Amino acid sequence: MLRDDMRVATARRDNGIRKISRLTWRAGIGGVLCSAVIAVAFGHHTQAQATPRHPGQSGTIVVPNQPPAPAQGGGQVTSGAS
Amino acid sequence: MTAATVATDTFEVFGTTAVLLVTAAAALGPARQLADRELAAVDLACSRFRPDSALTVLNAAAGATVPVSPLFASLIAAALRAARLTDGDVDPTCGRALVGLGYDRDFAQVKALSPGPSGLPRPGGPVAAAAPVAGWRSVRLDQAVLRVALRNGAQLDLGATAKAWAADRCAELIAAQLGCGVLVSLGGDIAVAGPPPAGGWRVRVTDDHAAGPQAAGQTVTIAQGGLATSSTTVRTWTAGGHQVHHIIDPATGQSARSSWRTVSVAAGSCVDANTASTAAIIRGEAATGWLSDGGLPARLVRPDGTVVTTAGWPADDEPATAVS
Repeated sequence: MLRDDMRVATARRDNGIRKISRLTWRAGIGGVLCSAVIAVAFGHHTQAQATPRHPGQSGTIVVPNQPPAPAQGGGQVTSGAS
Repeated sequence: MTAATVATDTFEVFGTTAVLLVTAAAALGPARQLADRELAAVDLACSRFRPDSALTVLNAAAGATVPVSPLFASLIAAALRAARLTDGDVDPTCGRALVGLGYDRDFAQVKALSPGPSGLPRPGGPVAAAAPVAGWRSVRLDQAVLRVALRNGAQLDLGATAKAWAADRCAELIAAQLGCGVLVSLGGDIAVAGPPPAGGWRVRVTDDHAAGPQAAGQTVTIAQGGLATSSTTVRTWTAGGHQVHHIIDPATGQSARSSWRTVSVAAGSCVDANTASTAAIIRGEAATGWLSDGGLPARLVRPDGTVVTTAGWPADDEPATAVS
């Protein structure tokens, strides 16, 4: 009688451990998938903010890579008001 | 590649002169086609003098919310960005103020109707009537759903940014699609893209874009971004007995009274350069500190011809000429 009770208890314990294990795995996989989705979403967002497609879309007036250099003679084109 | 291999096309657009330079002669025709298509679309979107333009429709909507095209929304967004980055100095809601000063039709007609040498106003000519500037925050743009509304009686004028924006757009498209170096100048607002010619693009900086490559000023080279010049000496007319110009100080609704007759700025794009040069005219003496703090290379010319430079702009090799 006592031995039967122990077998039942052991079986229930093992069954519970298996369920917890499955749940843990599923939660782990779900976490990894969520992390991947968040990484893609925010990674894209960060990249978009760091390198605007056009300088004219930046949140500041964008300075040139280098200032104008001096030159002699006339220009190929004229910058003046119109 | 040398300057001699650069191919050039010059044409009229937006009531001013456009110059297109490319580093591959075979690309000139296709480049012009791309530019024509883009410039026609921009003109249809934001001309103040076309009854069929989207801007005319918006200004006539009396504050109602109006659907807009992605292109027009981008042009308005660029203007609002310029206003935000200059604390409202470059304000797109100066339309009513310009009309108040008589700039209510194509500039050639405004000039023709200005008082002649006698100083007497011509019939139908411009008269000065101060009009308040509603302020750029009166523009409610929702780019996600492509809707815009003008509150507080605001009237848009995108003249301060649209031309420069169009120059950037044309240069980017041409470089991307044709794979050559390109310079687009729309009335002196210059954008470059793609690989520049050896030594860079040579630009003569002066008061008036139509003055020619040997006009009094300075020659510099640029390899990237944009260069723009704003001046109180060009696009001037007489209204109410006073000489006025097209750069409006939003604080007064009148032509800006500036310490500078001409300001040229180099920036990462033409629209940024134009935003800074226009703001510098309006800011007056404070402009040099603002430009320096922003790291923006600029050449500022006082009415007596004295030149001040900022942030690495090269020193002049010749003195600027004073304007009376």
